[in-house]
Amino acid sequence: MSLIIHYLWLIPAVPLVASLAILSLANAWRRSAAALAVAGQTAALALSAVAFLPTLQTHGFRAVQNFTWFTFGDNALRLGFVLDPLAAAMLLMISLVGLCIFVFSIGYMAEDKNFVRFFAYLSFFSGAMLGVVVANSLLLLFIFWELVGLASYLLIGLWIERPSAAAAAKKAFITTRIGDMGFFVGMLWLYNRSGTLLFYDDGKGCLESAGLAMLGASATFIALLIFFGAVGKSGQFPLHVWLPDAMEGPTPVSALIHAATMVAAGVFLVARVYPLFSLGAINGVTSSLTVVVWIGVTTALMAALIAIAQADIKRILAYSTVSQLGLMMVSLGVGGMAAGIMHLLAHGFFKALLFLGSGSVIHGCHSEQDIRKMGGLRRFMPVTFVTYAIGMMALSGVPFFFSGGWTKEEILHAVGHWPPSRAPYYLMFAGVVLTAFYMTRQIIYVFFGNSRTAAKQAHESPPVMTIPLIVLALGAILLSIVLTPAWPWLHDYLTGESVHFEIGRLIQPMLFVSLALVSAGIGIAVWMYRKAGVQDGDRPADIDPLEHAQPALFRFLANKMWIDELYARTVIAFSWIAALLSDWMDRYFWDGLVRGFGAIGQVFAMFTAGVDERGINTGVDETTVGARGLGRLMSAAHSGQIQIYLGIVAIGMLALLLLYAWLA
Amino acid sequence: MSYLELLKLASPEAIVVITVLGVLTIGLTTGREAAGATVSTAQPTRNASRRSSTRSAALCSFVAVLGLAVAIGAVLMLPRNATLFGGMLVITPLTSLFKIICIALAVFTVLLTTSEKSLRHPGEFLAIVLLATVGLMLLVGSEELLMIFIGLELLGLSLYVMAAFDKSDLRSAEAGLKYFLFGSTSSAFTLFGISLIYGMSGTTGLAAISAKLATTTVQPLLAVGVVMTLVGFAFKIAAAPFHLWAPDAYQGAPVPSAAFIASGSKVASFVVLGKIVLLGFAPVHGSAAWHGMVAGWSPVLAVLAAFSILLGNLVALAQSNVRRLLAYSAVAHGGYTLLGLVAGGRDGFSAALFYTTTYAITLVGAFGVVGFVRRETGGDDLSNFSGLCSRSPLMAGCMAIFMLSLAGIPPLAGFFGKFYLFSAALRAVPNYGLLWLVALALFGSFISLYYYLMVLKFIFVDKWAEAGADHRSLVTDHVLQKSAICLLAAAVLLLGVMPEILAAQILAAIQ
Repeated sequence: MSLIIHYLWLIPAVPLVASLAILSLANAWRRSAAALAVAGQTAALALSAVAFLPTLQTHGFRAVQNFTWFTFGDNALRLGFVLDPLAAAMLLMISLVGLCIFVFSIGYMAEDKNFVRFFAYLSFFSGAMLGVVVANSLLLLFIFWELVGLASYLLIGLWIERPSAAAAAKKAFITTRIGDMGFFVGMLWLYNRSGTLLFYDDGKGCLESAGLAMLGASATFIALLIFFGAVGKSGQFPLHVWLPDAMEGPTPVSALIHAATMVAAGVFLVARVYPLFSLGAINGVTSSLTVVVWIGVTTALMAALIAIAQADIKRILAYSTVSQLGLMMVSLGVGGMAAGIMHLLAHGFFKALLFLGSGSVIHGCHSEQDIRKMGGLRRFMPVTFVTYAIGMMALSGVPFFFSGGWTKEEILHAVGHWPPSRAPYYLMFAGVVLTAFYMTRQIIYVFFGNSRTAAKQAHESPPVMTIPLIVLALGAILLSIVLTPAWPWLHDYLTGESVHFEIGRLIQPMLFVSLALVSAGIGIAVWMYRKAGVQDGDRPADIDPLEHAQPALFRFLANKMWIDELYARTVIAFSWIAALLSDWMDRYFWDGLVRGFGAIGQVFAMFTAGVDERGINTGVDETTVGARGLGRLMSAAHSGQIQIYLGIVAIGMLALLLLYAWLA
Repeated sequence: MSYLELLKLASPEAIVVITVLGVLTIGLTTGREAAGATVSTAQPTRNASRRSSTRSAALCSFVAVLGLAVAIGAVLMLPRNATLFGGMLVITPLTSLFKIICIALAVFTVLLTTSEKSLRHPGEFLAIVLLATVGLMLLVGSEELLMIFIGLELLGLSLYVMAAFDKSDLRSAEAGLKYFLFGSTSSAFTLFGISLIYGMSGTTGLAAISAKLATTTVQPLLAVGVVMTLVGFAFKIAAAPFHLWAPDAYQGAPVPSAAFIASGSKVASFVVLGKIVLLGFAPVHGSAAWHGMVAGWSPVLAVLAAFSILLGNLVALAQSNVRRLLAYSAVAHGGYTLLGLVAGGRDGFSAALFYTTTYAITLVGAFGVVGFVRRETGGDDLSNFSGLCSRSPLMAGCMAIFMLSLAGIPPLAGFFGKFYLFSAALRAVPNYGLLWLVALALFGSFISLYYYLMVLKFIFVDKWAEAGADHRSLVTDHVLQKSAICLLAAAVLLLGVMPEILAAQILAAIQ
C-alpha cells in the first residue's frame, strides 16, 4: 500500500482551500489572487504526479482509503478515496491542463474587473473536479459532481451584467440538474439494493462481485439512471442544449470546464461505474450499454452536423465537444473502455488547446467571435496559428503525429467489432468526415484569405497566453507516443496489462481507413471553401458556399435543428403552465391556509409572551427600576413579586407530581 | 485509599483551583491600585492607569488560559477508569471527555472576557469563571448525589456572582438577583428530593440507588423524590416552566457570563441529569409513548420537553432583543435535548450529549458576536444588528453560521444534532411511541427558522441607520475575541461536515 493514498484527499483540498483564501481577498489584490490560484493548482499537479508513480509500478494498481462520515443507529455512511490508473491518469490530465489554463487566464482576464472572483471560482472548480476523480463513493462523487455544477454555473455567469450570460448559466444549471435527478434516484436505488455506495471496499463495495450480486436485474435500471446524470453533464442528446450556450462564459472557462474536464465527467462516471453497465453481459453487450451506444451515436452525428453551419468560433468548438463526447460514449458502450478514456485524455489536451487558441484569436480581434469577420490571421498571429493548426489536426484525427488520430482509430476499431449492429461503425465514419470538414472550414475562415473587418488590427497575444498554447500543443503531439498500436502504453496502463513493443502493429487496415476519411473531410472542405477566404477585403464573408448549395438544409443546421425551439414549445411551455397553476394555488389556496395558521400562532405567541413578560416580569422590572438600590430591591422582592416566580415553580412541580401520580 | 491517589485523580480540579488563586493574586497585586487610581486621580494619569489595568487583565487571562490548558493536559493523563469513595469521584472516558469540553468552553469564555471593558476587576471575574469550571468538573465527574449537589451549588453560586458582576448596570444586578432567588429555591427542592431518595434507598451512590429502587414498589414518596430532584435540573437547563430566570439572566448579565451560563452550565447539567435518570433512576424509567404512558421520570421529562419546545419557540417569535431571543430559543433547545434523555439508552444519551455540546459551542460563538455588536453600537437589540454585514463581514458571516446551525440547516452541526436526536427518539420506543414528541420538535424547529432568519435579515438586508464610517471596526481590534469566534464558527461547520469526530467519541465513551 502506497503512502500517497492517505494524502489523496489533499489533491482536491488544496485548490478548494486556495479558492476560499482568494474569496476573502479584496478586489484589488489581483496578483495575490492569481498567485494563490496558480500555487494551489501547481501543488495539485505535483501531488497528482506523486500519485501517478505507484500506479506505474504495479499493473492494475488499486488503493482505497475509506472512512466513516457519520453513523445513525447501526448504519454507518462511509466515504472514501480511490487511486487506480483511471483516477491517476485523469488527475494528471486535469491538473496539467488546468494549470495551463490558469496561466493563460492571467493574460486573458488581465483587463477584467472580476479578476479575483474569477480565480476563486476557477480554483473552486478545479478542486471539485479533482474530487470527482478520486472519490471512492458514489455519494462523495455526487457531492463533488454538484460542486462542479455549481462552479460551472458561477463561471458561465461570471459577467453578471450580461443578461445572456445569466440566462446561459441558468440553462446550464437547470439542464444538468435534470440529469442529476436521474443520477440521484439511481444512487438511492443502488443504496437500497446493495447497502453501500462505496465502489471498492475489500470485496464488499457496490462495484465488486459481492455487491453486484445483490443487484440482479435492477442493475440495468440503476445504470441507466446514473447514465442520465452523465447525459446531462456530458452534453449528450437530448440534454446537450446547455453546452453551446455555456460559451457565454470567459473563454478559459470554456476551455477548462466545457471542453477539457467537466463535460468529460459524464464519460468518467460511466467508466467509473462500468461494472454496473456490464453486469451480466453476453458477448460484451447489455441493454444499458446499447442505450449508451445509440445515445452516443445520435449525439456525435447530430452535433457534427450542426457544427458545420455555425459562424461563432466558440460555438463550432462547443458542438465539436458535444460530438467528441458522443464518440467517447459510443466507445464505452461497445466495450472499448480504454479507448474511450484515451480519447477523453487526448481530447482534454487538444480541445483545451483549441479553446485557448480561439481565446487568443478573440483577444487579438478585440472580442470578435464571428469567423466570417476574421480571415488572414496567420500572418498576424503565427504562434496561435501553428498551435491552432496542431489542435485542429488532432481533433480531425490526422494519424501518426497527433494524439487524436490514434485514439479515433482505436475507437473505430472497437466499434467495428460490436456484435449487434454495424450501423454505428458506418455512422462514425460519417462523423469523422464531418469533423475534419468543419474544422477545415473554420481554419480557412479564420486564418487564411484576406483580413476582413475584425482582423484589421489583430495582434499576437502576450507570452503568458502563448506559452500555455505551446505546452498544450506539445502535449497533443507527445501524447501520441504512448498511444500508437505499436507501443500501446496508455491502453495497457488503463487495462492493467503489461506493455510490449511490436512495430508490425503500427500498420493496420484501420489506419488507411481513417486516413482516407480524414483526407476526404479536409479535401471536400478545402475545395468548397477555397474561395471563401479570398473575398473582398472589408466585407464580412458572403453567403457560405454550403448555404449557397443547400439553403434549406443550412438553415436547419444553423438553427441547431430547432431543438431549442422544440423544447421551448413543449417542456418549457408545459412548465410555464404548471408554474402559473402553482402560482394561483399559492396565492389563493395555500397562502390562505398559511395565513390562517400563522394568525393562530401569532395570537398564541402574543398571549404567552404577554403572560411571561408583563404578568411575571414587569412586576419585578418595575420594582427594580423604581427602587434604585439593591437593598430596597431586596425588600421589594420580599414584599411580593418574586412570589409569582416561585409560585410558578411550585405549581409546575405540583403539576408534574400529579402527572406522575395519575400515570401510576 | 491514599491521599496521594486522590490528589492524582483530582489533579485537573486541583490545577484549576490553583489557577484561581494565581489569577486572584495577580488581579489583586496589579489591577487594584490601577482601578483605584482611575477613580481618584486626574485626567492625565487616567490613560496610564487604564493601560496598566489592561495589562493586568491580559496577564490574568493568559494565566487563566494557561491553567485551563494544563488542566486539559491533566485530564488526558488520567487513567481510563477509576472510582473513589463509592462514586464520589468517578473517572470514565465519558467524564474525561466532558471535563475537556467544559474546560474548552471555559477557555472560550475567558477569551471573550478579554475585550469586555465593562468588567472592572477582570482578575476576580476570571477567578469566578474558573471556580464555576471546577463546579462543572465536579458535576461531570461524580456519580453520587451529595457530591453532585455540592457541584451544583459551587457552580450555581459562582454563576450568580458572574451574572451580577457588572456593578454599573442595574440589569446585571437584577439578573443576578433573579437568578439567585430562583436558583436557591430550585436547589432547595433538589436537596429535598435527594434526601427523600436517600431516605428510601439508604444510599447516595447512583448505582446503589438503582439497585435499591429495582426492588421497591412504586410509592408516592418515591414519586415526590424523583420529581423534586428533577426540578432542580429543569431549572439548570431552563426547561419550561422553570425557565423564568433565563431571559433576564441572558439579557442582563455581562456577555461572557451569559455565554457561560448558556453553555458550560448546560452541558454539565445534561451530563449529570442523564447519569441520574439513566443510571440512578433506571428502574423507574416509565414510558412516554403515546399509546401507553407508564409512570416514571420519562413522561415527566417528556412533558417538560414538550412544554419547553412550544413555549420557547413561540415566545422567541415576539422578541426584539437578541439576547432575550437566544434565551427563549435556549428553552426550546433544552426541550429538544430532553428528547434524547426521554429516548434513553446509549443512542439517546449520546444524541443528547452531542446536541448539547454542539449547541454550547454555537451559543458561545453567538454570544461572542452579541458582545461585539454591543461594544460597537452600545446595545443588543435586533436593530443594533442591522447592517452588520457591511460593518464587519467576518462577524456577520460567523453569526450566519451560528444562527443557521441553531435552526438546524445542513451542513452545520445543529442539523446533525437534531438528526441524531430525532432518529434516536423515533427508534427508542417500538411503534414510533415518541412520534408525538418528535413531531412537536419538528414543528418547533420549523417555527424557530422564522426568528433565526429574522436576525439574519437584520444583519444582511437592513441598512444601518447611522453614519456607517464611525462604526467600522478595524481588523486589528479585538483580534483575540474575533479569532475565538471564528474558531467556534469553524468548529460548528466542521462538526456539521464531519459529525463523526465528536459523535463517535461520545458514543464510545458511553458504556
